[in-house]
Amino acid sequence: MRKPRVRRATVAAATVVGLVAVVSAGCGSDDSGSGSASDGGGVTTLTFAASTFGDPGRGPQLEEWLEQFNASQDEIRVEAASVPYPTFGQTVLTQMGGGEGPDLVRFDMPEFEAASDAGLIAPLDDLIDAGEYELLEQPDRFMVHDDVRHGIIFEASNYAMFYNADLIPEPPTTYEDFFAIAQSLTSGDTFGLAFRQTEAEEAGVWQDIFNYVYGFGGAWSDGEDLTINAPENLEGLQAYKDLYDANVIPRGADAATFRRMFAEGKVAMELNNGGYATHLLAESPDLNFSVAPIPFPERSQGAILAPIVINEASEAKEEAATFITWALEPENQTSLQEILGASSVATATERTPESLQELPFLPTFDELTESSLPQVVLGFEAQTPDIRKIVVQNVIAALQGQVDLQTALDDAQEQATELVG
Amino acid sequence: MSRFRMGLTLRIVAVLGVLGIAVFPLYWMFVTALSSDADLFAGEARLLPDFSQFGVFADALAEGEVVGWLRNSLVIAAGTTLLSIGLGIPLGYALSRFSFRGKVVMTVVLLLTQMLPEALMVVPLFALFNRFDLLDSLIGLVLANSAFVLPIVALILKGAIDAIPRELEEAGRVDGARPLTMLVRINVPLIAPSIAAAAVISFFHAWNEFVFAVTFIYAPEMQPASVGIAGFIGEVGTPVQTVMAVAFLFTLPAVAFYLFAQKYVVAGMTAGAVKG
Repeated sequence: MRKPRVRRATVAAATVVGLVAVVSAGCGSDDSGSGSASDGGGVTTLTFAASTFGDPGRGPQLEEWLEQFNASQDEIRVEAASVPYPTFGQTVLTQMGGGEGPDLVRFDMPEFEAASDAGLIAPLDDLIDAGEYELLEQPDRFMVHDDVRHGIIFEASNYAMFYNADLIPEPPTTYEDFFAIAQSLTSGDTFGLAFRQTEAEEAGVWQDIFNYVYGFGGAWSDGEDLTINAPENLEGLQAYKDLYDANVIPRGADAATFRRMFAEGKVAMELNNGGYATHLLAESPDLNFSVAPIPFPERSQGAILAPIVINEASEAKEEAATFITWALEPENQTSLQEILGASSVATATERTPESLQELPFLPTFDELTESSLPQVVLGFEAQTPDIRKIVVQNVIAALQGQVDLQTALDDAQEQATELVG
Repeated sequence: MSRFRMGLTLRIVAVLGVLGIAVFPLYWMFVTALSSDADLFAGEARLLPDFSQFGVFADALAEGEVVGWLRNSLVIAAGTTLLSIGLGIPLGYALSRFSFRGKVVMTVVLLLTQMLPEALMVVPLFALFNRFDLLDSLIGLVLANSAFVLPIVALILKGAIDAIPRELEEAGRVDGARPLTMLVRINVPLIAPSIAAAAVISFFHAWNEFVFAVTFIYAPEMQPASVGIAGFIGEVGTPVQTVMAVAFLFTLPAVAFYLFAQKYVVAGMTAGAVKG
């Protein structure tokens, strides 16, 4: 009876030793920590974090663009760090707040403002001579705080209405037409419209409702005070809620799902930014879609402004600045523009005839630049992520019928005012 | 139909129903991975996989990242399981068998730690790990996950040891056994089913953990699969089939471990039931 017990013990011991060996081997492959590192050959490796690197439509091309930089350098290498989009801001801000994190970051505006306010971003004035470049004025003005430059536009992307041209020969030009078309095209498993409407997609809901608020003449603030419950905002958000109540959207579907549905002709319209156009073309080359301005009463809509910044904690700020300077060179801006498609880059670039043939609606996007605003609360930029949470929670409560919209906005106004002091 | 055959049929239906509920999510992931976009959004869902789409698995594996993610997840989960069980057994034993000042408070505190969400701990842990150079390290994740799961492991094992008659230890003590010997030679074999159950909990927690992993790991080659899969969720699109294919592969090792450990849970439950 003793023999099997010994054997079992031996097997158990061997298993434990084996697992420990596996753990040690696995852990042994760990890198030299975060941020920049210089290998024996004197090459400084920088990490560039952007959720876009995970985008199947553009990610691989952006990585090729980084390789162009690496090929042009002997001493600096930039590596892509793909942080998942849903947790990008929280993850990178935590890392930067802890004195770590990537050297270069492509932020979205709310997180950019929060990071800038917290002193987590390196001022660029001493690192980059921005005056050397013809930067696009409207988006670039949001890169400077109190005369200090914190970022350079990596991508500026205006919101417009995407529509399936097979289903909608003539795009609507008024909200009433928009509503009517959405209703008439909703049937069975096909929907006239799609937008985000769940708390799990807080940032996305904010982007969507931004267009309704601004498109109906509203604003989240007057620059000094919050105006969340202003009548114009109520009107815009009522329009958003009316569409939800009319069952013209696939309720519960997240953005990834309804965008696939759009590509399959199961959704007729959606409001989205220029970055989506390239993605759609790459994913669904046969889709007959087009783009028109959002048909709301006011020509004012959101824009995705994505600045590239240098982490204040980076040990290689000058090397990071070298990369940004390289990115601002005209030929590299043109390459980036080609990858980003309907988005704009930091400087004015010429659309090539090939691009215009492939994306004939590019001028529509370009013409919207002057009337587009970053999705932040003006005057309260740094607090935007917190205000966003409050507004989205209350608006969704109204969508779900827990409270009427006016009360929801009043509550949001009160909570947000208390928050900002 | 006789009463016996009707009862048998009902039992078979019930077993198939339970099996279906348990296996169906896995099957649905597999079917979704092997569906075209047109199938995904067709009026009627596809119930059988379309094997002409099998390339999605080959493509996912061809890039090499997925294998690396799974290896990292395995290292983290195995390390967490070993560490939490290794520390949980003596801790559970101490809580069960020894009297010391503050024992009740300590047990309550251990319970309270289970009520803290990970998100609350990520910032202080980040600062701590940064100081001890544990960021971007699988060891760091093993420690973080073990810290999180150790209390529940210890409490499970304490409960199991509580149920062992003290007379067994007293007999061992008479034979000259010391506390460590009594723990290893008397208690551990008797609580083997609970150890297996605790190991399953530890392994699953570490296998699925996301918040610490996404924050503490920078290097793409160090990412576990939970973070790697989330990386497919882009700003403007998500390749659903690829996500499902990788998620399916991600699920298999966890299921395999569960089946392996379950054998010990069941074996332990029946051990000693029949006098030999």
